[in-house]
Amino acid sequence: MRRLLVLVGLAVLALPAAALAQQTAPATASPWNAPFAFLAAGIGLAIAAGLCGLGQGRVAGSAVDAIARQPGAQQRIFTSMILGLAFIESLTLYMFVIAIILVVKY
Amino acid sequence: MGAMEHPPIFRLPGVPDHVTYTWIIMIVLVAFAVAAARRRELVPVGLQNFGEVVLETFVGLVDELIGPDGRRFLPLVATLGIFILVGNLMGLIPGLMSPTASLNTTAACAIIVFLTYHWIGIRTQGAANYLKHFMGPVLWLAPLMFPIEIIGHLARPLSLSLRLFGNMTGGHILLAAMFFLMGLDGLLGWALSGSAGGLIIGLPAGILMFVFILGFLVPLKILVSIIQAFVFVLLTCLYIAGALEEAEHHAEAHAQHH
Repeated sequence: MRRLLVLVGLAVLALPAAALAQQTAPATASPWNAPFAFLAAGIGLAIAAGLCGLGQGRVAGSAVDAIARQPGAQQRIFTSMILGLAFIESLTLYMFVIAIILVVKY
Repeated sequence: MGAMEHPPIFRLPGVPDHVTYTWIIMIVLVAFAVAAARRRELVPVGLQNFGEVVLETFVGLVDELIGPDGRRFLPLVATLGIFILVGNLMGLIPGLMSPTASLNTTAACAIIVFLTYHWIGIRTQGAANYLKHFMGPVLWLAPLMFPIEIIGHLARPLSLSLRLFGNMTGGHILLAAMFFLMGLDGLLGWALSGSAGGLIIGLPAGILMFVFILGFLVPLKILVSIIQAFVFVLLTCLYIAGALEEAEHHAEAHAQHH
């Protein structure tokens, strides 16, 4: 069903005239821009997760470097690393919440 | 999502599920505390021993992050931490629901933290002194810094609540999707349908998926539960410490936040 909606969305994207025609049709189905919500949720979450992965990879790598150089400070480095990971991760989670809202609303 | 996840077994009519399970956690924790503290001894045994180990973890955290003044805030920090940890882990038991997977519960915790650390800051430094923190280092920058600081402080409860909620809900949706793919509507259902392809491909793939879920995803979820409870407690301690400290320390702690 969703794949069908996505296909309809792509067709709408390709044919603005069809979009206008669909808009004037009686509102039996969901609005014409509903499929874009799924596209936006999927693509947006993919971008957010990918960039978050890059950032968290840098954090984890630097933390491992630091622990390897100074194993005595492991506890403090670990705490800072968890803190940094949490802040980076929360940016992805904003996108996740937006994606949930998009998918549930449409 | 709603169709994939099973509703919790125990429900009270007219009460939202996350409230019901918050009450259950409250009853369990209070019962544990009463049972552990009923016969206190110098050399702890049993429940008292376990409770002391848990509390000593929080005492160490509070001492390290807030400093010598931090023991005053141990009840708040430890209560939030234990509640969130139990709430997170509760969702892993089939048939139960974790109350922290609802934005209402996490927002309640985050707003309590927000109000508390501002109250602490105003009580320890006075309202005028505390407001001066929002003005930035130089006076002529104050019109620029003040809105930024206000937005930054308002973003704290937002990010606290959304982080916990997003992690828990994301984990649940992931587990639900994986079990859905594995289960009777998915690979195992294909295997049980009696077709040859189901027996050759569906059965090994279903068993592999079962091993993957129980061996990797569920331990990952347990790890995330513990780490998110830890992060919540850590940030609570840092916010309280930031409200306690003087202006120059405050700027330094704030730079870490951004």
